[in-house]
Amino acid sequence: MPGRQLTSEEYARLAGSDALIETEWAPCRAACPVHADVRAYLDLIARGRFREALDVIREVLPFPGACGRICHHPCEQECRRNDVDQPAAIRDLKRFVAERDYPEGQKFEKPLQERDKVAVVGAGPSGLTAALDLARLGYRPTVFDRGEAGGGLLRTAVPAYRLPRKVLAADVDAIVAQGVELRLNVEVGGAFQLDDLRSQGFKAVVIAVGLSKSRGLPIPGADAAGVELALPFLAAADSAGPGLAGKSVVVIGGGNVAVDVARTAVRLGAGRVQMACLENEKEQPAWSWERHEAAEEGVATLHRLGPKQVLVRDGRVAGAEFKAVTEVFDGNGRFNPKYDENRLTTLDCDVVVFAIGQEADLALVKGTDVKADERGRLVFDRSTSRTSAADVFACGEVVTGPGSAVEAVASGHRAARAVHQFLSGLPIDLGESLPPKIDKLAPATAQRLVKAARAEMPAVPAAERKANFGQFELGLSEAAAMKEARRCMSCASGPFVLTDKCAACLTCRRVCPFEIPEVKEIADISSALCQGCGICAAECPANAIVMAGYGPDAVRKSVDAALASLDPKGLRLVIFTCGHHAPAARWGGSDPARPAVSAKEVFLPSMSRLSAADIMYAFEAGAGGVIVLECESGTCRYPTVELRLRKRYEQARQLLIEAGVAPERLALHVGAADNQEAAFAAIALMAERVTRRAQGWAPRGQAAKPQTAEEKSK
Amino acid sequence: MIVAERKPLEEIRRNLAGRKKVLVLGCGGCVTVCLTGGERQADMLASQLRTAAKVAGEPVEVTVRTPTRQCDREFIDTLKADVEAADAVVSLACGVGVQLMAEVYETKPVLPAVNTTFMGAHSGPGTWTENCRGCGQCVLAETGGVCPVARCAKSLINGACGGTNKGKCEVSRDIDCAWYLIYKRLKARGDLSFLRAEREPLDWGMSSSGTRRTLVHAEVNDQAHRRGAEGAEGAAERK
Ligand SMILES: Cc1cc2nc3c(=O)[nH]c(=O)nc-3n(C[C@H](O)[C@H](O)[C@H](O)COP(=O)(O)OP(=O)(O)OC[C@H]3O[C@@H](n4cnc5c(N)ncnc54)[C@H](O)[C@@H]3O)c2cc1C
Ligand code: SF4
Ligand code: SF4
Repeated sequence: MPGRQLTSEEYARLAGSDALIETEWAPCRAACPVHADVRAYLDLIARGRFREALDVIREVLPFPGACGRICHHPCEQECRRNDVDQPAAIRDLKRFVAERDYPEGQKFEKPLQERDKVAVVGAGPSGLTAALDLARLGYRPTVFDRGEAGGGLLRTAVPAYRLPRKVLAADVDAIVAQGVELRLNVEVGGAFQLDDLRSQGFKAVVIAVGLSKSRGLPIPGADAAGVELALPFLAAADSAGPGLAGKSVVVIGGGNVAVDVARTAVRLGAGRVQMACLENEKEQPAWSWERHEAAEEGVATLHRLGPKQVLVRDGRVAGAEFKAVTEVFDGNGRFNPKYDENRLTTLDCDVVVFAIGQEADLALVKGTDVKADERGRLVFDRSTSRTSAADVFACGEVVTGPGSAVEAVASGHRAARAVHQFLSGLPIDLGESLPPKIDKLAPATAQRLVKAARAEMPAVPAAERKANFGQFELGLSEAAAMKEARRCMSCASGPFVLTDKCAACLTCRRVCPFEIPEVKEIADISSALCQGCGICAAECPANAIVMAGYGPDAVRKSVDAALASLDPKGLRLVIFTCGHHAPAARWGGSDPARPAVSAKEVFLPSMSRLSAADIMYAFEAGAGGVIVLECESGTCRYPTVELRLRKRYEQARQLLIEAGVAPERLALHVGAADNQEAAFAAIALMAERVTRRAQGWAPRGQAAKPQTAEEKSK
Repeated sequence: MIVAERKPLEEIRRNLAGRKKVLVLGCGGCVTVCLTGGERQADMLASQLRTAAKVAGEPVEVTVRTPTRQCDREFIDTLKADVEAADAVVSLACGVGVQLMAEVYETKPVLPAVNTTFMGAHSGPGTWTENCRGCGQCVLAETGGVCPVARCAKSLINGACGGTNKGKCEVSRDIDCAWYLIYKRLKARGDLSFLRAEREPLDWGMSSSGTRRTLVHAEVNDQAHRRGAEGAEGAAERK
């Protein structure tokens, strides 16, 4: 993939906007169905700015608590760290920010809602998302659900040991707090009809009723007592108590729902739980991690079994008989199982649960202008999110088929856009042109990267957790979360080369620790290979390299802000330090142990970004001293930063001393950014030296700066 | 490429003699490549000037521009407004750029911020080394691509002096003897005949020690063409 180039004029036009950082996407963001800006929120977490990270997530995902626990995280599957060690623990980090208590509380603003009333049927993830989007756009959405609380299948099917009910309830409450009205225990299609919504003044309707019916199989014995369907089984689990004590349970199915059923059965006290599925181990659709957790809890999985009949004794289940499966998918990869009727397997059991799929309950549209096809599916136009009725739209699994919560959310966003366009009298156009995603990491680059082990999610041991519905994953600690967030490589945040400035001097090529820039007529820096350290940008003599997310002005603006926050009569020390390590070491801000010196830190994405010119700028802007705090040797995610930083510091120091700045007003400390004690000592030391010099203690040499009032008063 | 090194700040400030509005001019050519006078270095010099002025309690106003090159009028012409607004110009270009600037902006003091040192190549991290002295009569064809003018301490043209010592120059053990290098190179090429031939002395009048040199490419020089055409007519007349 070619590098990214711009003219200075183009850059001037785009600088400060999101255009540069949005030119290409990291693969995590591209893979996320709602395109959450993963890189951005991981960076905020690494900097200890948790609340802002949560806001970034909430922009596109109204279920941070739920998805932070149960999302199937396609982002992680695509994360470029897969090629280095393990993916960033994106889902666990989402949970971390979602479950924190914020001192400022979870305040949500209710938007001004003066536009039309819109009805949404179904308070699952898709319906609530569509409603929230519409509320944010100023509409007045009401969500009807036949259940007693919002959340859809996340509430009634996803087991509580994976998703505690109060976590989901908090997500739903936040949605309601942002202007969504929730009307519960109302079945649309019963006493209350779709057309009633129209007559009540709802200008558009969104059908988001999900797939609420479990499928069974018409095999002999399927109606015997002890045969259950997955959804009712799961819905009842909460209240059922240890109803399966000592029983033997066979779950038919190999998907995620089947795994949930099996693990729920274990928690309900079943003595033996077996899953019987058509697929072999490789083909089985359930996520590998869930299968692994189920196995830990004692669930046995039997492969290549096709249900033949339920064996019944005295009207009750006595076992299940299976025929051997010879093939599940045909030559075209289509689901088309073939059986060997002669090879039979019998499993003795007391309970059989079918977990083989779901279908929609479309009773609510019967007899209305919203049509269903001959296979019982809503007539639906994907390109407009519209049903056969002009004012009725649909989203979620009822139209997409079974999937994940975040996909349902994505579908909800589309429906809301369609409704908005419809009610604004515009043609409906849901086409989206997304930025291209960057390529995979080249093996040669991956090899050079610093490895870092992924944070382990602490979990209750299987023997303990299988006895109850308590949440078994315990969440990351703050320290672990910040460390984990630092593992993100900030993919696609690399530089642009300014075509009119680049002198093809080769400096970038020579300083890049990954040897990524290619210099032909001018430098060409591949965004897929670049690691975004910014070392080249800080060295380029032509100022021809600008980082997408942290432009040349960024440090200076932070310096200005830091100085503006300090008392002009004080010492005014500017401390350059690493935004990823320092906050984790907890020395920034207002710790009481911090020396009472007027000093302010400027956090950089990495110390690799600090140029000699930046250090010099601080003095020009009025700093009384500059402290550069580097992290513990060897902890930076980029190689060579220590060496580069020392050299830049030395260069700046020489040039500043030449300009008359007293040497004691400059200091570099290694191993202090990530060490509170060392950081405080560095601040105290500079304050002391500067003050002593001002009092005439220091040997004569360079002229000291004129005394500041603070120094004089000492 | 032309290599230059930064002058001490003190000298630059002395030359500025307290002028209050200063235009610092980087150059996007050679001095960018040798990391002495690019936009970044211009920014850093400007920063030094401002800080030094602050320390001294006499504020200055410093602006920075970095044209593509300072050795071409067209690029220099684009600086007019900034030059006029300044009391003095401090240029990080080589002497060529400083002179052209001074010529174009006759009434403005244009002060050098670098010492132009040599023509050379990148020879290691952050290092540039002289390779050519611009003698005007290149002998590299005979000397195996090693320049005796630039690289022999005595610019000898007919072989090593008596001081050559195990490949090193008698001037310093740190300097390679250019003639030893030439010998090795030619031997590697398997042809030492050039060494046996006697070379005419160089015409030092064509080199840097002579008068100012000029190059005219007639194919793009309108005046040269006109003169050529007149000459032809004249010749016809003389017939
Ligand atoms: C056992 C199980 C485990 C799962 N695990 C995960 C997981 O780990 N991760 C993940 O991402 N996804 C998981 N999912 C999938 C996820 O739950 C769904 O993708 C998601 O809930 C679909 O959202 P939806 O809005 O389309 O519909 P639903 O969540 O099904 O919501 C539909 C809502 O409509 C209401 N409704 C239906 N008909 C009417 C009517 N006529 N009138 C009024 N209200 C009506 C229902 O009460 C329901 O609340 C799981 C699903 C199941 C079944
Ligand atoms: S390293 Fe970070 S930006 Fe790159 S894919 Fe992984 S999470 Fe996304
Ligand atoms: S130095 Fe850093 S920012 Fe520059 S190309 Fe190399 S990896 Fe990318």
